[in-house]
Amino acid sequence: MPKDILWVDHLIKYFFTKQGTVRAVDNVSFSIKEGETFGLVGESGSGKTTVAHTLVGIYRPTGGQAFFRGQSIGEDYSKRSKTLKKEIRIVFQDPGSSLNPRWSIKQILELPLKVHCLTDNKHRIGRIVELLRMVELPPNEYLYKYPSGIGGGEKQMVAIARALATDPTFIALDEPTSALDVSIQAKIINLLMRLQRKLNLTYLFITHDLSLMRNMASRVAIMYLGKICEVAPTKEFFQKPLHPYTRMLLSSIPVVSDEEEGLIPKRVISRGEIPSPVNIPPGCSFHLRCPEKMEICTRVDPVMVEAEENHLVRCQLFLATNRTK
Amino acid sequence: MPKIEILSTVLSAKRVKLSKGWYKFSRNTLSVLGLITLIIIVLAAILAPYITPYPEHAGPYTNFRESGQPPNLKHLFGTDTVGRDVFSRVIFGYRFSLLLAVVVISLSVPPGIVLGLVAGYTRRRWLEVGIMRVTDIFLAVPPLVLALAITAMLSPKLLNQMMAISLMWWPWYSRLVYSITSSLRHEYFVHDAELTGARKGFILIRSILPNCVGPVLTKITLDMGFVITLGASLSFIGLGVQPPKPGLGTMVADGAKRLPAEWWMTIFPALAIVFVILSFNLIGDGLRDMFAVEEI
Amino acid sequence: MPKDNPLLEIKNLHVRFRVFEGELRVLNGVDLIIYEGEKVGLVGETGCGKTTTIKSVLRVLPSPPAKITAGEIFYRGKDLLKMKRREIPALRRGEISAIFQDPLTSLNPVFTVGHQLQDIIKYSLKQQGYDHVSKKEIRLRAAVLLKETGMPDQERILKSYPVQLSGGMRQRVCISEALRVTVRLLLADEPTTNLDVTIQDQILRRLDELVEKRGTSILLITHSLGVVRNLTHRVYIMYAGNIVETAGTKDLFTDPLHPYTGGLLKTVPKLTGEGVSEGIRGRIPNYLNPPQGCRFHPRCDHAMPICEKEKPPWFSTGDNHRVACFLYRG
Repeated sequence: MPKDILWVDHLIKYFFTKQGTVRAVDNVSFSIKEGETFGLVGESGSGKTTVAHTLVGIYRPTGGQAFFRGQSIGEDYSKRSKTLKKEIRIVFQDPGSSLNPRWSIKQILELPLKVHCLTDNKHRIGRIVELLRMVELPPNEYLYKYPSGIGGGEKQMVAIARALATDPTFIALDEPTSALDVSIQAKIINLLMRLQRKLNLTYLFITHDLSLMRNMASRVAIMYLGKICEVAPTKEFFQKPLHPYTRMLLSSIPVVSDEEEGLIPKRVISRGEIPSPVNIPPGCSFHLRCPEKMEICTRVDPVMVEAEENHLVRCQLFLATNRTK
Repeated sequence: MPKIEILSTVLSAKRVKLSKGWYKFSRNTLSVLGLITLIIIVLAAILAPYITPYPEHAGPYTNFRESGQPPNLKHLFGTDTVGRDVFSRVIFGYRFSLLLAVVVISLSVPPGIVLGLVAGYTRRRWLEVGIMRVTDIFLAVPPLVLALAITAMLSPKLLNQMMAISLMWWPWYSRLVYSITSSLRHEYFVHDAELTGARKGFILIRSILPNCVGPVLTKITLDMGFVITLGASLSFIGLGVQPPKPGLGTMVADGAKRLPAEWWMTIFPALAIVFVILSFNLIGDGLRDMFAVEEI
Repeated sequence: MPKDNPLLEIKNLHVRFRVFEGELRVLNGVDLIIYEGEKVGLVGETGCGKTTTIKSVLRVLPSPPAKITAGEIFYRGKDLLKMKRREIPALRRGEISAIFQDPLTSLNPVFTVGHQLQDIIKYSLKQQGYDHVSKKEIRLRAAVLLKETGMPDQERILKSYPVQLSGGMRQRVCISEALRVTVRLLLADEPTTNLDVTIQDQILRRLDELVEKRGTSILLITHSLGVVRNLTHRVYIMYAGNIVETAGTKDLFTDPLHPYTGGLLKTVPKLTGEGVSEGIRGRIPNYLNPPQGCRFHPRCDHAMPICEKEKPPWFSTGDNHRVACFLYRG
């Protein structure tokens, strides 16, 4: 029975700006089991990227806690141990800016090896070659290329190789294929899944593409304006979406077959704009766009409840006191 | 992978990088022209004693019988009021101008870069603000005024002129590097280096600095022109290269008294200044293109 | 839908780009037709040449590196490529307009949205012959345009600067600008690619309504097959500088003929949860030295000897469904 490797407890991350307080991550809790792929879905402003960045140490949480293998990871990178930096890695969203344009691929892959003294000088190049082979990039072609000379998909593969360089246990993948074409995406996703099986990796997989999530994750959580709205095992999440936002998101997917058409919720037309995270509406943050809005939604922010087994929802519709049956 | 294969891949990659850089630079015909002109000027300045017809005229030499001659076959640019060959003096004059430019840039760019990197990267607000406010103060004073004040305080020599100009040149670089650094600071590749555990110094020098090289180098070429002008201006008012040494600005000043009749004494040194500045500026354009990061 | 007068007809367009390493032979004979009132999709992955095609139609290809080496682009009978430079602005003002992928770079950051929209309305009215229209009238028209694209609170938006608006709103402003007058042809290059899915859904629906209402033809360029499925009458599939298949939208999805189309459909992750397919093997070709014959043959599981030698012509399989593949030769 795989145990929890990462758990997040009431995590809060606010950014204090001149325009106001940005509540990027507002009281988020979840746990990830070893070896699983935990999916985090949401649109812009949902806070999913901030969650990942806080977990890997770019930011220090404003409140709440997070634990990795029992060890607290509530600080940013400047205060984390080297071991932690080795075990938790991230693949960023934009391949263009995640690789230093002035470094060759060899230099990019060399850095983690040097910092953690994983190989001696003699064997370093061998390890870099091995990493490139792992992501299926021919070493003699790519070793001395520069990021500007390779395509987006290949850049992402280099970023994945870089993440793997320290033999990590946990990798946060922040929209790794969002900027890429479908055929390249397929390659990278397959690569990620193979690597996961081979190296027993745990993934936090973030994307806004629900169709992709359907095929990647074992459990999915959906976020809206800094809060988790719903968490469930993948199949259940898609077959029986409970939260109105989940249903709205699912119904907006441009599917490619009639079969899939049959699977998406009907009659949920998306409407309204996503409010800015500085101006979060009172009560339930989704009520301005919600087709099932009730009076109580404008006043009271709902709490997470277990509507069905293993299926958590944060919505007034599912609070026992509100059930109109 | 056998070592020899790696070596040849490295060399060929470097060769490709250089020739690609040259390709980008050479798209600008004017830049290439500027480069050629500059190379000629530099070579001429270095080899001045060997290539000028009258190298001894670049010093305490007088020959009043030959003075005041307009340009002729014996003296390409004519002679000045005390009979010295203007052409030879102009070539020697380039030595001072180029020396000034090189010294000022060498003295002012490194501290400017260091301060800019530190101010842009540090998370300590007081440090960032402190450095940039000092930079602002130096930038607020008009360069000529500051240089005048310093040179006048000390004795008017080339050496003092160089130090004075260096002292007020560094702020431009710290500001340039600061703006690049503070925008790059939040790029994903910098975050990645931090998360991996690289030390701050390493990140500054190896991750961020290489991305500043392009704009800094372009600015240096453009600045060379400004520095030479500034030096010539100071010499013009007597605070730089002292006679009988052939500073270009000094020569312009001396010859100015003889305008318009004996025009060659001023015009040729002035043109010489124009040419060297122009060639630096033209190179600057090409350099900017060369460092532009292109995507496929 | 009148099928006999093509609004836009691209014939055998060849475009090359000069770079350090040589010449990139990007477009290799593109054929495309759009009729009046039609909604057409152009689907292709990054680097296949879709944007180059659009830029050629709009005559905004940067001409030193790019070179149109062959082909014709007929707009209502006139060859755009042979038009003189000074005739082109008239075309852009009244006949063809475009929206692009990144609305932030399409809008001028230092002018308010209202200012930009009003400028455009003023010039297009001039184009139509209305020289003196009052400022009030123009402002009113701007507000109406914004309302049509579904933006609430038009007055506030008109006074805002582009950076103050969200991506979805900016794109809606761009759509208003593009549809300011009844243009005949709208070229939309990945208009919703950078936007959130729920916003994308809204914008595409709205675009669809507007286009239907005005009878404008639209060429919707995207790399997403799902987007064209709901919105277009006909689809073109593009690969490496060639159109490889075209059909009525429904036909294309139920009966994809070209191996590339089939591969694309298979690699799109499905909600049915059958896992992610392996993708199409190989990589997009290097335009410096593209494959001879059919440019897809190195990646094709059905490649035959002739595919390496000759570029496949169009083969028709009835009812507007055509494919450039030797598999359908017989």
